[in-house]
Amino acid sequence: MPPQRVLITGVSNPLGAEVARRLASRVPSLFGCDVDDPVSALEEMDFVHADTRQSVIGKLVRQLKIDTVVHLAVMVDSSRGERATHETNVIGTMNVLTGCAGPASPVRRLVVKSSQAVYGARPDYPSLLSEEVAGFSPTASPTSRDLIELELLAHDFAVRNPACRVARMRLGYRISRETTLGRYLSLPLVPVFAGYDPRLQLLNEDDAAEAIAAAALGTQEGPFNVAGDGVVLLSQAIAIMGGRPVPLLPPAGLWLSRMAIRSATGVSLPGHLVELLMHGSVIDCSRLQSEFGWRPAHGSRAVMDGFALGLTEEPLESPSPPQEYELQVYLQRRRRGERNGHGTGAPLALTR
Amino acid sequence: MSRDPAAIYDAAPKERRKRSQNAKVVRPPQGLRLPRRVRRLQRQAPMYALQGINELSTRLRDLTGHEVIDMNRVMGLAQFAYRQQQLARRGPNYTVDEFGFDAEWTEALLPLFGVLYRDYWRIETTGIENVPATGRAMLVANHAGVLPWDGTMIKTAVFMAHPRPRHVRALVASLFMGMPMLSWFLRRTGQTVGHPDDTKRLLERDQLVLVFPEGVRGTGKHYEDRYKLRRFGRGGFISTAIRASAPIIPVSVVGAEEIYPMIGDLSGVAKLFGLPYFPVTPFWPWLGPLGLIPLPSKWRIQFHPAIHVEENPPDSADDQNLVMALSDQVRDTIQQGVYDNLKLRRGVFV
Repeated sequence: MPPQRVLITGVSNPLGAEVARRLASRVPSLFGCDVDDPVSALEEMDFVHADTRQSVIGKLVRQLKIDTVVHLAVMVDSSRGERATHETNVIGTMNVLTGCAGPASPVRRLVVKSSQAVYGARPDYPSLLSEEVAGFSPTASPTSRDLIELELLAHDFAVRNPACRVARMRLGYRISRETTLGRYLSLPLVPVFAGYDPRLQLLNEDDAAEAIAAAALGTQEGPFNVAGDGVVLLSQAIAIMGGRPVPLLPPAGLWLSRMAIRSATGVSLPGHLVELLMHGSVIDCSRLQSEFGWRPAHGSRAVMDGFALGLTEEPLESPSPPQEYELQVYLQRRRRGERNGHGTGAPLALTR
Repeated sequence: MSRDPAAIYDAAPKERRKRSQNAKVVRPPQGLRLPRRVRRLQRQAPMYALQGINELSTRLRDLTGHEVIDMNRVMGLAQFAYRQQQLARRGPNYTVDEFGFDAEWTEALLPLFGVLYRDYWRIETTGIENVPATGRAMLVANHAGVLPWDGTMIKTAVFMAHPRPRHVRALVASLFMGMPMLSWFLRRTGQTVGHPDDTKRLLERDQLVLVFPEGVRGTGKHYEDRYKLRRFGRGGFISTAIRASAPIIPVSVVGAEEIYPMIGDLSGVAKLFGLPYFPVTPFWPWLGPLGLIPLPSKWRIQFHPAIHVEENPPDSADDQNLVMALSDQVRDTIQQGVYDNLKLRRGVFV
């Protein structure tokens, strides 16, 4: 059965907004929740201020009879501290899963956003990582550990609730002016690890949103790798961006290297990116191809070239001022009221 | 203003003139600029140099009666320099495969290894016809010599002696894939991690995969144990070959054992650097970097006829009995080949 009532958590981040835009025309009713205001008002979507870190999602899901939950309130590339990220990623996901659990739950489909960072990057990994490789490792970076825990929770949920089909989308690294990797690659002089030239695999923003939307509408289960075809070497990426690699960082003392990069360039690299810039990571997307019959339209090289030419998708609409948002809500209510046969005269209080 | 060049030509002449005044004029950098004749000479210098060497070679041949300067070598050198220049010019406009292999770069580097192959170790290769010209195959070889020069030379042999040059993709211990410089070089030249997933993927792409089942047990053995093959692991390579339905081609290498005669192993130092062994040879570490120069032993490489393990059904890959039997068969073939080639070799260095 196609999804009727869809809830998107974390709808205010750029990916969430894009997924909502794509789903708006394909599902009858769409709901979004986030802590922050949405980037742009979407007429077809009802927005609720709700924090996944508190247990309000369960009430929301039952009251609204949600049948599909798209959980995008997962921070992989965040400037916030380790603890805040852990709260959102692990505790937040736990709350969402608890809210969707139980025999009386109306939820039949759950899509969880994860990342390529769940694998980390290690020299003893195979060159292409398939979905089974990810697992607990004591040396994993904090982000990877959070993501592993998050995915374990989602997996347990899927086992305990066979009525609900769970897909975990492991999105590849995306580059834009907002992401750490994008800002790092745009530096004029890029400090790199001496003696390493890792392989990078990148994912276009549109492809990421399309993958999530396709997963929300489908019934495929389990983890899926999502990333562009082919690889770009770090040295290549830097050359495409017009920068110059400076092989200064020593292979040992990663903590010190991170400090040095932060103080010299102002880009604070999280642990999983430091690993990536040393050993590189490439994921095998054949499972996505075989089960969805779809693969990202842009290869890694195309994503890199697009970023260098400034063609990478900016957030499609600039953040709308609050009044515009209120206006959208007013128009939406008014139209729905008309459809239900109520009068249009009821004044609406424009308070926030 | 529009950046589209076509729009400029569509504009009216007046508009066009206005725009051209706004355009930034790009001048060549001012400074010391040699006269045109000198610059032309600079451009043509390599050609003149080659002509001069050719002339000299002819004169010397007439004078002494035998070849003093081999023009083939000189042309090879010129070609090598030209290819390096081409590589430097391509900038970021190249593609590597998902394993990080840069074929163009590797081919430009191979002449260097060709010199080692032909002149330094004077390698005699037999049975190259057993390597298929197309399709997948797994090459399984004995491993020796402290550094993996045998792998390099098998790759060079298949590229130089085979009627249809192919790249061999060797599997490397993950330990070396984490090392700076080494990991970069290994990936660039087509090597990958010795992981069953990688092996299977490469074979499914119809590549030639080179496996050293002895691993570091083979390279780190003492000089008095030379040419005695070590245990072939648990036969994982056989299972992978059966699953990927690839034939196995055993390869015997003779000569690699003598390049660094290992007379001792400082395990304490090895542990300190995280290495599997720290060799002591008559020259290393006493002579410093000079001790890294391999000795010019005489080498022989033999490619044996394929063992068609792919004829077994795919589910027999889990049959440990069969796998170990096939593993022993491959090992015996290689060991026998090593003994045969040792007999064919007149001496260690001749």
